[in-house]
Amino acid sequence: MAYSFRSSISILIIAIFFGIVFFKLLFLQIVEGDKYKRISQNNFLREAIIPSPRGTIYDRNGVKISYSRPMVNLYIKNSSKEKGLQLISKLKNNNINLNKIDLDNIFDKNNNSFLRQRILIKKDLSIEDIYIIDTKFSSYENIELISDYLRVYPYNEIGSHLVGHLTANDKKDVTYGNLLSNRKGAVGIEWDQDDELSGTVGAEYFFVDSRGDEVSFENLNYNYAEIEKGKDIHTTIDIELQRIIYRSFDKLNGAVMVSNVNSGEVLSLVSKPGFDPNLFSKPISSKQWKKLKDSPDKPFLNRAFLVSNPPGSIIKIVTAVAGLEEKKVSKDTTFYCPGSTKIGNREFRCWLRGGHGNVNVSKALITSCDVYFYKLGLRLGINKFSDWLSKFGVGELHEDFPFKQRLGTIPSKNFINKYLDGNFYNGDLANVSIGQGYLTLNVLQAHKMISIIANNGEFVKFRLYKNQEIIKDKLLEIDEKNLQEIKKGLVGVVNDREGTGFQARVDDKVAGKTGTAQVISKDSKKYGYGKFKNHGWFTAYYPSDKPEIAITVFAEHGDSGGSAGGPIIKQIISYYKKNYLENND
Amino acid sequence: MISFNFLDKPYAKVIFVGYSIILLGCINLLQIQANENISIYSIKQFVWLVISLAITFFVLRLRLRTLKNISTFFYIFSIVLLILVLFIGKEVSGAKSWINILGFTFQPTELIKISYVFLIAKIYSELGSYSGSLVIKYFIGFSLFLLPFILILFQPDFGSAFMLFVVSMSVILSFSFNKKYLLGLILLASLISIPVWNNYLEPYQKQRIINFIYPENDPKGFGYNVIQSKVSIGSGKIFGKGLGESSQAKLGFLPENHTDFAFSVWAEQTGFLGSLIILILYGFIIIFPLTFLKDINDLFLKVILYGLCSYFFFHFIINILMTMGLFPVIGIPMILFSYGGSSLICASFGFSVLALILKDYRDYNRLGV
Repeated sequence: MAYSFRSSISILIIAIFFGIVFFKLLFLQIVEGDKYKRISQNNFLREAIIPSPRGTIYDRNGVKISYSRPMVNLYIKNSSKEKGLQLISKLKNNNINLNKIDLDNIFDKNNNSFLRQRILIKKDLSIEDIYIIDTKFSSYENIELISDYLRVYPYNEIGSHLVGHLTANDKKDVTYGNLLSNRKGAVGIEWDQDDELSGTVGAEYFFVDSRGDEVSFENLNYNYAEIEKGKDIHTTIDIELQRIIYRSFDKLNGAVMVSNVNSGEVLSLVSKPGFDPNLFSKPISSKQWKKLKDSPDKPFLNRAFLVSNPPGSIIKIVTAVAGLEEKKVSKDTTFYCPGSTKIGNREFRCWLRGGHGNVNVSKALITSCDVYFYKLGLRLGINKFSDWLSKFGVGELHEDFPFKQRLGTIPSKNFINKYLDGNFYNGDLANVSIGQGYLTLNVLQAHKMISIIANNGEFVKFRLYKNQEIIKDKLLEIDEKNLQEIKKGLVGVVNDREGTGFQARVDDKVAGKTGTAQVISKDSKKYGYGKFKNHGWFTAYYPSDKPEIAITVFAEHGDSGGSAGGPIIKQIISYYKKNYLENND
Repeated sequence: MISFNFLDKPYAKVIFVGYSIILLGCINLLQIQANENISIYSIKQFVWLVISLAITFFVLRLRLRTLKNISTFFYIFSIVLLILVLFIGKEVSGAKSWINILGFTFQPTELIKISYVFLIAKIYSELGSYSGSLVIKYFIGFSLFLLPFILILFQPDFGSAFMLFVVSMSVILSFSFNKKYLLGLILLASLISIPVWNNYLEPYQKQRIINFIYPENDPKGFGYNVIQSKVSIGSGKIFGKGLGESSQAKLGFLPENHTDFAFSVWAEQTGFLGSLIILILYGFIIIFPLTFLKDINDLFLKVILYGLCSYFFFHFIINILMTMGLFPVIGIPMILFSYGGSSLICASFGFSVLALILKDYRDYNRLGV
C-alpha cells in the first residue's frame, strides 16, 4: 500500500524533526538555561556602585588620624554630545565654575563605547554649587550628584609609615569610572585593617536597551544593594607623642618605637623622613611619584623595620646578661681596661683611649667599656652568645605585626657555616660582643630586647589596636640578682657621672643604653666622611623602679647614641611623665 | 462548565488547535515593547484573527467539489498578483513583496504556496495514479513550480522562494515517487552546484553562505540575531520569565521579535513548558490530518491534505530550527503564530480546508460532492 506507506514515512520524518526540536529546546532551556539567563542579564543589566565611606582610624585618645571626607561629584548621564554641551553651558550660566574641562574630549571618548558611562563634570562641589544645582536643576534628569569619599590624613607625613596610605583598586566601576572611595589600603594600618575599614559598597541596578541608553523598566525588579559603612579602628597610638618625636629629630632621619611594656601597646612608631599619605588618596601624578621615589632620603623606606644595622653597644645588655647567667662572670668580677686589648695579633681598642681601669659588669654597662665586653665575649664563646641573642628575639621576625620586616643577621651556627665556611675567629667574636661585625638588627628587635629587660624577662606582644588581646610570652628566666645588676648599670648609663646617656636625663628614673653603629661603607670614601657619620642607638625604659614604657631610638648618621638619641628620649619621657603619670595622681 | 463535546469531531479539533495557536500568538505579542501596555502588533493580529474566523466560517460551508473547481483560477490569480507585485509592489527592506489592495497590504507569495498545492492536486487527480504518467507529472509539477519560483526570485525574496521549493518538492516527490528520478535530480543538482561554487561565486557570496550555515562566525551580522534568539530561548529556562517580561524583546536586543523570532519571545516568556505547548499544538495540526490520508479515496483530496500538512510542517520546522540556530536565517515567520496578516489569512484558510476535508471526505468518497 503505497499511500499508507507514504503517510507513515511522512509522520516518521516529521517526528524525527520534532524530536530534534525537543532535544534542542531541552538543551538550550534546561541544560544551558543558567548560562543564557546570565547572558541576557548582562545584555541589559548595568550596575552602578554606591560608594561607602571607609572607617575612621583613631588614636588612643580618640583623635582622628585618618578619615574619609565626603565629597559630591557632578556627573552627566545618558547624554548626547549636544545635550551635554547644552547642560554645561547652563551650568556655567549659573556660576558654577567648570575650569579644566576639555569639552570635546569628554564626550568623544564616550561616543564609541557601547555603554554610555556617566561623564564626570566636576569633582568636590562646594556647598554653594550643590545648592544651585539642587534648586535650579532639580527637574533635569540628565544630571546626577554622587557622593564619593576622599581619604584625609590630618597629620600628613608624621604617621605615614605607621598609618599607611591607599592605592588604586583594580576594580573600576563601569558607570562612574574610578571612584576614590574604591581605593584600598596599601601599607601600614590601612593595609592591615583593610577588610574592617573598607565596608561594603552598595549597588544600584538600572537597565539599558540595545543601544546602551538607560531605560526605565518597571516590570523587572532588581534590588538595591545597601551600603555598609566601614568599621572604625581604635589604635593604641598617641598621635601627639608621635608628632613630638617626629619634630624632635630636627634635621636627622631615623626611627623611634615607644611602647608600654606591661600591655604591649605601641604608643608611637616613627620613621623619618615620611611622606604625605594624602597624595595617595587620589591618583598620584607621575611627576610627584617620581620625585618621592627618587628622593635620596628614601621617604618610603620604613626605617623601623626595613633597615638592619649593627646594634653597637646596646647589644652589651645581652652580652652582660649572658655572661652572668652562664656564670662566666659574677657581678663582682672585674676586668682591667687599659684602653685596648690584644686578641691574636690584633689590637682591639676601647672607645676611651685612656682606659676605664678596673670595671665590673655594671660599671662596664655605664661606661660602655669595650675591653670588658671583648673579654666577656671570649669567655662566653660564640655558641652561647648567639643562643642568648636568639632568646632575646634578635634575628627573628615579630609575628602579628602588619609591617614588612627585615630579618638582620646573627652569628648563629647556620650563618657561620653558610657564609663563613665555618670559620669564626676570636676577633670576630670580640666584635659581635660589642655589637659590630656579623650582627645586625632592626629597631623592632632592639625594642623587644629592652622590653624584655624592663619587664623582668617577660615579653608582652606588641599591639596596635585597643581590642587586640594581651598576649604574654614568658621568654626567659633571668636570675633576679643578675637582673638587678644589669638594671643598676642601665640606670647608671643615664644617671651616673660617667654615664654615656646623661643627655636623656629627666629625673633619676630613666634607664637605658646607648650605642653607636660604625658605618663601614665603601661609599664613605666617595662621598667624604661627614655625610656618613655613624648611626646612633639609644634604647631606654621608664620609670626604672616600675617600668611602664620602653623607647628605642635609631638616629641615622646621628654620630653617637647619647648625643643624637638622648635629647629625643628626654622629650618622650617628659611628655609621658606629664600626660600619663601626673594625670593619674 | 463549558462543554467540549464539539471537540469530538476531528475537523473541530483542527479548527480548535489552529485558533489556539493564533490566540497564543496574540498573547505572545501583548507586551513586547518597552513602556507600552499592549503592543500594536497584538491588537492588529487580533483583528486578523477575527477576519480569519470569518474565512473559516465561509470555508466550512463550501463543498469539496468547489475547491477543485476553483483550483485553476486560484493559481492563475496568484500568478497575476506575483506579476503585478513586480510593477506596483511596495518595497520593504530591499524586496518588492507587498501589494496594496483596497487599503490592505498583502503578500502574494503566501497565496501561491497554497494555490500551487490546489492546482497540482487537481492535475494529479485527473492524471490518475498509474506510473505511465510519471514523466508528465514531473514535467507539469516542475513547470507549475518554476514559473512562480522565478517570479519570486525577481522580487527578490529568497526565503519565500525556498519555502515554495520545499513545499512543491515534497508534493511532487510524494505523489510521483521514483527512485531513479530522485537520484538523478540529486546528482544533477550537485553537478551544477560544484562548478557554480568554484567558478561563479564571489568570495563575499561564499562567506555569506558559510555565515548562513555557521552564524556564530559572524556575531555582528546575521549571527547576531541568532545568538540573541538563542539567548532569549535559553534564558526562559523551565518556567520562563513570565508574560510581558521578555527583556530581550523589550530592550531591543532581539530583532524581528514579532515576526521571525516570535517563538524566541514566547520561549523566553513561558520557558520550556510553554515551548512544549507550542510543539504539541503544531505536532497535532500537522500529524493528525495525515492519519486520515489512508481513509481518503480521492487523489485530489489526498494531495491537498498532504500538501497543506507539508506547508504547515515546513513553515513551522524551518522557523523553529532557525530560532535555535539549527537552520540559516531566511526570514520565514512561524506560521499562524508570528505577526503578519497575509500569512495568517492564508494559513487559517489552509487549516480550514484541512478541517473541511476531515469533515466531508466520507460524503465525497460516497457521492463525489
